[in-house]
Amino acid sequence: MTTITYPLSRIEGHARVVIDVYDNEVFRADFQAMEMRGFSHYVRGVPAEQITVIVPRICGVCSTAHQVASVKALEDVFDITPPPLANDIREVLLLGQLIQNQATSLFIFTMPDRTNASSLFELSQSEAGKAREFSLAQMALKIRKIGTDLISLAGGQFIHPIKTVIGGVSSGIKREKADQMILTIQELLPVATELVDIYWEMSMEMGDRIGSWGDDEPTHYLASTEANNYRLNSQRLRVMQPDGTEAPSFDPHDFEAYLQIAESEYSYAGVSSYMGQILRANSLARINLTESLGTPRADAYLRRFVQTFGKPAHAIMFFDLCRGIELVYALEKAQQMLECDLEHGETEVGYAPKDGTGFGLVEAPRGPLIHRYEVENGLIKTADFVIPTVHNMLAIRRALMVAAKRYVGPEGINAELERAVGRVVRAFDPCIACATK
Amino acid sequence: METSKDLPKFAVLQLSGCSGCEVSLLNSDEWISNFQLVYMPLVVTSNKIPDDVEVLLVTGGVRTDEDIHNLRKGRSRTKKLIAVGTCALSGGVAQFKGNHIARESFLKASHRLRMPDMLPNAYPIDRFVDVDLYLPGCPPTPQLFMTALKDPENAKIAAIVCQECGRQKLNDMRPTSITGPRSGVVLPDICLVNQGYICVGTSTRGGCGALCTRPGHACVGCRGPANPYLNKEPKFVLDNLRRVFARMTDIPAEEIDAVLESPWLSLFLGQFTDYTQEADLPLRTKEKML
Repeated sequence: MTTITYPLSRIEGHARVVIDVYDNEVFRADFQAMEMRGFSHYVRGVPAEQITVIVPRICGVCSTAHQVASVKALEDVFDITPPPLANDIREVLLLGQLIQNQATSLFIFTMPDRTNASSLFELSQSEAGKAREFSLAQMALKIRKIGTDLISLAGGQFIHPIKTVIGGVSSGIKREKADQMILTIQELLPVATELVDIYWEMSMEMGDRIGSWGDDEPTHYLASTEANNYRLNSQRLRVMQPDGTEAPSFDPHDFEAYLQIAESEYSYAGVSSYMGQILRANSLARINLTESLGTPRADAYLRRFVQTFGKPAHAIMFFDLCRGIELVYALEKAQQMLECDLEHGETEVGYAPKDGTGFGLVEAPRGPLIHRYEVENGLIKTADFVIPTVHNMLAIRRALMVAAKRYVGPEGINAELERAVGRVVRAFDPCIACATK
Repeated sequence: METSKDLPKFAVLQLSGCSGCEVSLLNSDEWISNFQLVYMPLVVTSNKIPDDVEVLLVTGGVRTDEDIHNLRKGRSRTKKLIAVGTCALSGGVAQFKGNHIARESFLKASHRLRMPDMLPNAYPIDRFVDVDLYLPGCPPTPQLFMTALKDPENAKIAAIVCQECGRQKLNDMRPTSITGPRSGVVLPDICLVNQGYICVGTSTRGGCGALCTRPGHACVGCRGPANPYLNKEPKFVLDNLRRVFARMTDIPAEEIDAVLESPWLSLFLGQFTDYTQEADLPLRTKEKML
C-alpha cells in the first residue's frame, strides 16, 4: 500500500491530507488537523466575565466571531438583551470580519490555484498579472484592509477586538469616522467587483481546463442567516436537505439534538454530522439558503450564480464563487449600515452576574459558531465551542475521496492530485486553530 | 510592485498559535517592497525554508515535538531570528502555569495516532534556540512589525503604555471599589485607574500606541512587563501594580490582589517574568526587546 501525504499551505493552521492507495485504487482520503489548541480545557475555572478576553485567542483569523459569540453566551446566562444599536454595531463588526476573511480566502488563499502559482505575489508577477492595469496583490490587500478597518472601527482592535462587551458595545461609531469609511468603500467597491469578476473568469477557465468544478454528491447545508436577511449576528440555525427543501430550523440551545460531534482518531479536530449525515457549512451553504441578499450588486451576482449553476448548487468550487458574492454584499451592507446613525442612543445595558448555562450564536465566515458555557459560582465549569470547520470535516473527506479517485487510476497517480487536494481543501477554507479549540 | 529577486529573503515560521500575528503582518503591505517572502505557509505554497534566509520571524509557542524540530531547522537556515508575539515569548494562552486540572484534562484528550506529540506545556521558543530580537504583543501592531524588520536598533519604544495613552491621571479622583472587568461608563480623557478599572498599562511596555486604553478599555498587559521588570520574578510586576493602585485609589488591597492574580491578566503579565524561573535560560535583555 502507498500512503501519500500532502502538507497543506494557504489555509489557517497546520493540517495535511493523507491518501492511501493500493493497487491503483484509493482506500482512504483523510484531512488531519496537526495541532491542538485546547481552549475548552484552559478556560475551566476562569471567572466567567473574563472569558471574553481569552477566547478570541482561539484564533487570530476568526477572533471577532469568537468574541461576539462569547459575549452572547454570557448575555444568555445573565439573561439580558443588548439594545438594538449594540446589535447593529456588532453586525458592522461581523461584516468587517466577513470582508477580511473572504478577501483573504479569495485572493491570498485560492486565486493562485487558478493559474497554478504558489502565491498571490507570484501571480501578480506573472504575465497574466502584469497585463492588468493594476497589481492584483495591491488591490486585493486594499480590499482586505477595508475589513480590517471596519473591525477596528466597530471592535476597537483589528484582531482580538474589545468593544463588544456583556450588555452591548462600549461605544457608538462617530459620524465623522463612519463617513470616512463610507468614502473608502465607495471608492473601492468597483475595484472589489472587478476583482471578483477576474476571479470568476479565472475560475471558469480553471473549470474548463481541469474538466470539473469538483463535482460531489448533494449534502445537507447548515447556516444561521435568514432567507431574506443575511444578518450575521444571528439567532437560529437553518438546514437545507440534499433535495433543496428546508428542514425545521432550531435554536442554538437545542443544537445537540441536531448536530452530533465526535472525536477523530487520526486528527486533533473532531467531526460533526446532522442527524448522522454529512453536512456542509460556509459560503455555499448560506447562498443555497438565501433568496435575496438585499443589496443591488450582490443580488445581481446571486442571480447570475443561480442562473448559471442552479439552486441548490453542490460542486466544491462554488464555495469560492459564493465568497465573491458575499464580499460584495458585505461591502455594500457595511456602507448601508454606516449611513445610519450609529453614534447616538443606548449602546449598553447593565447586568448582574449569575450562574447558569448559556449559548451564543453568530454566523462566522466559515458557518454557524456556537459558544456554550456552564457557569457555577461565577466560574466557567465547562465550555463547548461548536466550530463551523468541524461541520465540514466529513464533507471535506468525501470531496477528497472524489478527487483522489479522479486522479488515481490504472496508469498510476496523476501529478495533478496534489493541486486538486489543495483546491478541494481551500474551497472549504478550514480553520485548524478553531477546529482544535 | 517590484519583488526583485535581489531583496533580502524573509520567512515566517508558525509554530502553535492562532495566526493572529500573521494576520497583523498582512495588515501592513509595506514589507512587500522591502523583502522577498520565501516561506510563510499561510500565504505561500513552499514546503521548506530555504537555507539562506536573512530574517526569520517565529510565531506561536512550542507545543509539539514537531514544533521543536521545525524551530531548530529554521534557526539553522537564518541569519537573524525574531520571536514574535506572546506565544513565542511565553507559550502564550496555551501555557498551563499552575493549572494542573487543565493540564491533565488537556493531555488526556490530546492523544492521537500518528500525530505530532503534545508536550506537557507550551514553551517559549528561546528554551530551544537563540533569539536575536523579541517582538511582544498579542498581536504586535503592523507598525511594530515594520520596525522589527527595518530598523530595530534605532527604534524608540514608549517605556509604558501610559506614555501613549494620553488619559490624564487625577489626584482627587480616588475610587473605593473596582468598576468591573469591562463594564461601566468610561469617562473620556481620564485615567482608567482613576475610574476604578484594573488597567495594567502602568507596568506594561508601550509601543502599541495605547490601542486599547485610548478608547476606554483597560490594558491587559499583552506587550508584557516594561524594561525594569524583565527577567524578574512575577512578584516585581505585581508589587509595582499594587503600589500604583495604593497610590491612586482607595480600593482595598485584597480586592486588587484577587484581580491581579486572575487568569485574564496572568495570561500576559507573567509572560516574561515567569520564564526566568527556569534557571539556565538566557536573559532577555532590554536591547533585544522591541
